[in-house]
Amino acid sequence: MNRTATMAGARTPAYKAMTWLWRGVATVFIVVTLFPVYWMVQSAFEPNREITSLTPSFFPAHFTLHDFVDAMSRPWFWDDARNSLVVVTSAVVIVLIVAFLAATAVVRFRLRGAKAFLVLVLVVQMVPTTALVIPLFLLLDKYHLTDNYLGLILTYVTLTLPFTIWALRGFVRAVPVDLEEAAMVDGSSRLGAFLRILFPLVLPGLITTGVFSFITAWNDFLYANVIMQQNYHQTLPVWLFSFSTNTGTDYGGLMAGCTIMSLPVVVFFLAVQRRIVSGITAGAVKG
Amino acid sequence: MQALRGLPQGARASGGLPGVTEPATRQAGRRPRWHGPGTVSRRSRRFGRNLLPIALLLPALVLIGGLLGWPIGQLVATSFQQLGLFELIGHHVVWDGLANYRQLFSSSELGASLEQTALFVTACVSLTMATGTAVALLMKRLGKPMRTAMSLAMLLAWAMPSAAASIVWSWLFETQWGVVNYLLSAIGLHFTNHDWFASSLSAYGVITAMIVWQAVPFVALTMYSAFTLVPDDLAEAAAVDGASPAVAFRQVTMPIVRPIFVLLTVLSVIWDGNVFNQVWFLTGGRAQVIDVVPLGVWQYIEAFASQQYGLGSSVAVITVLLLLMVTGYYIRVMVRTGEVST
Repeated sequence: MNRTATMAGARTPAYKAMTWLWRGVATVFIVVTLFPVYWMVQSAFEPNREITSLTPSFFPAHFTLHDFVDAMSRPWFWDDARNSLVVVTSAVVIVLIVAFLAATAVVRFRLRGAKAFLVLVLVVQMVPTTALVIPLFLLLDKYHLTDNYLGLILTYVTLTLPFTIWALRGFVRAVPVDLEEAAMVDGSSRLGAFLRILFPLVLPGLITTGVFSFITAWNDFLYANVIMQQNYHQTLPVWLFSFSTNTGTDYGGLMAGCTIMSLPVVVFFLAVQRRIVSGITAGAVKG
Repeated sequence: MQALRGLPQGARASGGLPGVTEPATRQAGRRPRWHGPGTVSRRSRRFGRNLLPIALLLPALVLIGGLLGWPIGQLVATSFQQLGLFELIGHHVVWDGLANYRQLFSSSELGASLEQTALFVTACVSLTMATGTAVALLMKRLGKPMRTAMSLAMLLAWAMPSAAASIVWSWLFETQWGVVNYLLSAIGLHFTNHDWFASSLSAYGVITAMIVWQAVPFVALTMYSAFTLVPDDLAEAAAVDGASPAVAFRQVTMPIVRPIFVLLTVLSVIWDGNVFNQVWFLTGGRAQVIDVVPLGVWQYIEAFASQQYGLGSSVAVITVLLLLMVTGYYIRVMVRTGEVST
């Protein structure tokens, strides 16, 4: 950052005092931001009798895995966890392939109507996803794709495709075209250059946007609830919701369920966090 | 950077230069198309060349057209139909003209929900953008350890699935054992057994707080990396010229990061304007406890709870038109400044 300015300013005591003030503000921000996450985990590990005591303990004295065992042994947990993984992973792989091809076409060629296509991609995101549940359900039903993996996979691919194309465009644009041209001079075809040169260079961007579509699909409650009818075909958010409405005040088990559901997303997120942010700006700013 | 892209596109003239490196182009508005050398022969070459990009674009077009375009068309058609459970099961199509819209505009609900949605979205978006930008500046001001701690905290909050997060927040604000009531009572306020979802104002307060909590990380981290794009010497030059930090921020930093700021605002309006999960989960599926619900939830209730799919569809159509009106201007700006250019 502003290194010279910081160094010059750091000598004044006023600047130092302000730094401590800002550190204080940052600490408050961190505590407020983390608290819901912390509270979820601590309620999940806390014995039930302590959760429902009138003076909550902020640092629980006892730890128990009882709530996790309880949550996992509830009906359909394993089925629904597997469904979530299979459906969401397949959808992410498909959406990345389709979006990579589309982004390449839009960025690397002068296509008539490419701009219109991009505006369309932006506008399509404004349609409330809640509004499309019924028409999409009727469409899938017509082709016997309800209550089946493929129907839900296709739904998630379509729902995440516009944003993925939009974001990937920036990553493709950031790769200098010279590299592909060099490969073509060496006898590679245009498509070959895309796959051998462009694809590996855009891979970080693919991982970043992949995490986004993973989260969108992993979070979805509405479509899974409508498209998948059997309990053992459902996904984790639906399982969680049935848990929360059926059990009344079993907040320990509920928080354990929430922790389990958050875990894969958090792991993915932390793994790619650096790229996520640089990726967003690369997508937003042309660079 | 544009120059690096070189030959295959020919002389690229339409579309834009990076809004960030060359803010001057913004004033230029629509620039004339400049056809570089080889304009004449390009037409003949274009045909063969266009097969590959069309093939590359085809899967995306088929998916968007088939699974988004068709249902959107259906949605618009349904908004002109009378479609209840009876018609749905029997596959009857009963065209109803403008009846749904007439019913909406003659009731007071639409106006109330519109007002509520506008207030709600404005509150969410302005709080998110203000907090996010402030946090980004704070990150820039502080050293690396603090910055890492802030990003880590934000990543954890951001990564939490909205379904799980909503349930966790309803636990935080629970009437009897919720920790928020406990803390507020502990500092001497009368919040023991306070029901946050009893009045719509406080319910909206909780929902807004949660949405802002989840949205700030994305905005803050993106704005932070946008701020790092501003060359240091520009700010220093402004300081040497005697500009106060506030003036330097407004006149040097902000113009450079503005494209990102606008994009984030537009995305936030779109996302918050269609918010559903948070309202639905936080109120435990009893969104009706809030007497006036945002449009995104209202159309769902109208469609599913009252099983008037036609009426629900017309609410959805109105929502899209409104979002288009609000964001359309910015989309135009983005197109003109080259942000939507290929």
